Amino acid sequence: MKILQKIFITVSTLFIVISPIAAHAEDITLLNVSYDPTRELYQEFNAAFAKYWQKEKGQTVIVKQSHGGSGKQARAVIDGLDADVVTLALAYDVDAIAKARLLPLDWQKRLPHNSSPYTSTIVFLVRKGNPKNIRDWNDLVKPEVAIIPANPKTSGAARWAYLAAWGYALKKYGNDEAKAKEFIAKFYGNVPVFDTGARGATTTFVERGIGDVLVGWENEAYLALKELGAGKFEIVTPSISILAEPTVSLVDKVVKRRGTEAVAQAYLQYLYSDEGQEIAAKHFYRPRVDAVAAKYAGQFAKLNLFTIDEVFGGWPKAQLTHFADGGVFDEIYRPK
Amino acid sequence: MRKSWLFWGVALVIGISVVFTASVSAQEVGSPEKSLEQRFDELDQEVRILKRKRELDQEAAEAAKKAAPIAKVGSSGLSVESADGNHIIRLRGILQADHRLFFEGANDVRNRSDQRAGNLNEEGFHDANNTWLLRRLRPTLEGTLFGKYDFRIMPDFAGGTVALLDGYIDARLDLAFKIRVGKFKSFVGLERLQGAADIKLLERSYVTNTLLPNRDLGIAVHGDLFGNRLNYAFGLMNGVTDGGNISTGPQFSGRKEFTGRLFATPFVNDDSVLRGIGIGVAATYTDIKGERNLNFTDTTPADATRNGLPSYLTDGQNPFFRYNGATVADGMRLRISPQAYYYIGPLGVLSEYAIVRQDVSLSTGGSPPEGGPGSNTVITPNTGKTLHHQAWHVTASYLLTGEDASFGSVRPRKNFEWGKGWGAWELVGRYSEITLDADTFKNPSGTAFTGAYANLSDSAKRARSWAVGLNWYLNQNVRVAVNYSETRFEGGAGNGVAPINAAGTNVQDRPDERVFLSRIQLAF
Repeated sequence: MKILQKIFITVSTLFIVISPIAAHAEDITLLNVSYDPTRELYQEFNAAFAKYWQKEKGQTVIVKQSHGGSGKQARAVIDGLDADVVTLALAYDVDAIAKARLLPLDWQKRLPHNSSPYTSTIVFLVRKGNPKNIRDWNDLVKPEVAIIPANPKTSGAARWAYLAAWGYALKKYGNDEAKAKEFIAKFYGNVPVFDTGARGATTTFVERGIGDVLVGWENEAYLALKELGAGKFEIVTPSISILAEPTVSLVDKVVKRRGTEAVAQAYLQYLYSDEGQEIAAKHFYRPRVDAVAAKYAGQFAKLNLFTIDEVFGGWPKAQLTHFADGGVFDEIYRPK
Repeated sequence: MRKSWLFWGVALVIGISVVFTASVSAQEVGSPEKSLEQRFDELDQEVRILKRKRELDQEAAEAAKKAAPIAKVGSSGLSVESADGNHIIRLRGILQADHRLFFEGANDVRNRSDQRAGNLNEEGFHDANNTWLLRRLRPTLEGTLFGKYDFRIMPDFAGGTVALLDGYIDARLDLAFKIRVGKFKSFVGLERLQGAADIKLLERSYVTNTLLPNRDLGIAVHGDLFGNRLNYAFGLMNGVTDGGNISTGPQFSGRKEFTGRLFATPFVNDDSVLRGIGIGVAATYTDIKGERNLNFTDTTPADATRNGLPSYLTDGQNPFFRYNGATVADGMRLRISPQAYYYIGPLGVLSEYAIVRQDVSLSTGGSPPEGGPGSNTVITPNTGKTLHHQAWHVTASYLLTGEDASFGSVRPRKNFEWGKGWGAWELVGRYSEITLDADTFKNPSGTAFTGAYANLSDSAKRARSWAVGLNWYLNQNVRVAVNYSETRFEGGAGNGVAPINAAGTNVQDRPDERVFLSRIQLAF
């Protein structure tokens, strides 16, 4: 009787052990949920990382991408999109995922530079010849100027742009919040159409020919010049702008369940490698590593940049004041 | 003079009109600051903006459509599915309304304290009941969450009681590795694993209904390997009597039952005449003790199971075998069942054999016949016996209307619609046999028929049944079925209601059962 019992247990255990091993001897896939304009960056980066990982570990890694407005992407991950990593436009969107208990609240400490492997800023892209003579933020509030930013409710770039404009207004009006609000109201009064993400805004301005100025990511502006012809557009650097710090993180709950923690961790760390930083710079993201930053310094305009912490006291405060339901943006913007 | 006034008056009017018209035209062109080119650019921008807004609205509508859940109602029931297909909830059901018409047959009530059967004949039998009944009334809630966690909740309301038949979660971690937990059909019998709506005859065979387990509580791992050519399943279950359906409450025996099954369909992916072959083997093993301190002197089929032992039913669902009240399961229960099917075109054949090795003992104690508290049940020393019961069946089906036979549902080529289609018609037939171990009907020393584990004058030692039937599938949801079944017994009756004598000379064969079964079934 005992022998029969042992036979049963042995045979069933063999099947239980062998089946999942056999089923999982296959490629590793990761899903990187990112914000709108990073398509080209991660296309090149993913290929480089896959090559690196194949060489180091002999394993094939396939990285799938999802792109969209940063806020929208964060909500998608919270609602169940199985992201192994998130590479979003701002820390606040990753904080929202942490509050949903998909990753730890102190996620920013896990990678260098507060988990921001590259930075960017907000600039203006205008049509060739700059027919509306746009030089700085105050030119954007003139009645005859049509501005194309994305929607701050869904887009990270749009939130950075809003805060950059607000920061300018505070400086111009001696920290008068009421006047800054008036300035922002005029700014968004000049917006004819809102896209949900930065890439959509670029499409509206560059391909659909709408508006006089695209207010968005520096890297998008350079990409537009490079991809769609330097002869059609110009970049205008404002007098002051904001240091935009896109952030990256593991989604711990997903990687632990999928068993991809090690490779996902290595993927994010590779963003800080020399090759990762070079790829970022080539796609017009400002690298963090000093040597690479120095190499590409001439590529980027020198800007007077302020941080969100300096002017707004950090993302949670800025989000609550300006972008939460009933915040300043809801007060000043009425759809046309 | 007059003509000159007239002339100058007309000229003045004309002049004023010209000046007025010119001024209006100048105003219609626009304010002097905007040129035609500027105005054109403005209009061009407005058109572009409108087109872009429409484009964005369409993108938003597409995205909303992709996120919207999909509700469906149809022949597969009611379902609601998320846009990404990862979550789905279905409401399904089965209703079987039967009629049993006995030309000959007995409802065995001899030597029972149950007085509900009414008038008995001289052998102590009551005629089997002709009756309408709801055989199955099972609404089913099932679905999948997150793309891989299946669940099923299925009660049965038939028979005037509510019982939970299925309640389980199935984690489909991989095609080759799934984990099921809860109450579900044991992964043992082939015919049992066929859906209740899809079985060929109205009642399953002896192999399924008497020897092999029905539903049990526990955990099982299962999966499909080698491109679906091999299905495996191993379970650790509470353990259930032959043909039994476990209750969902706690069990009184801590012993567990191992179940295992391997079933191969080696040619399933090939374009060959052997494609429809399936062959396998299943087994269960446990080492159990019967319950103690319970009233099992009223030997209804339900009570009989509480001593760890089953009772067996005919095709007409009348009991023809039960253990004596003093018999308890005491030791090992091992079941082995080779099984196979073959489907080719409209022809299908399914066959199983099962043997159960059951250790039993006699006991004393329990409650008095009138019920109430009694004494502890004690195993009588030196009364242990190992019994071997076996059963087998061959079931064949042939679709007269040319549809392909399969293990699953029949889908008519043309639904029944007067003048347009006749649905699907299927001829079915089965031979089934069960043989109880001869030692069951003798005392532990094998010298007498009294003091046995079961009485040959109450319980048959062998039953042989054949059945034929016709199924009419009006569509994939509605079926009308008629069966004729005939069963012959060896043993199972005595001289009147007198108990069996030691020599076993007052034993007769129980009357044959001849029954006409009919059913209307709705399943979705």
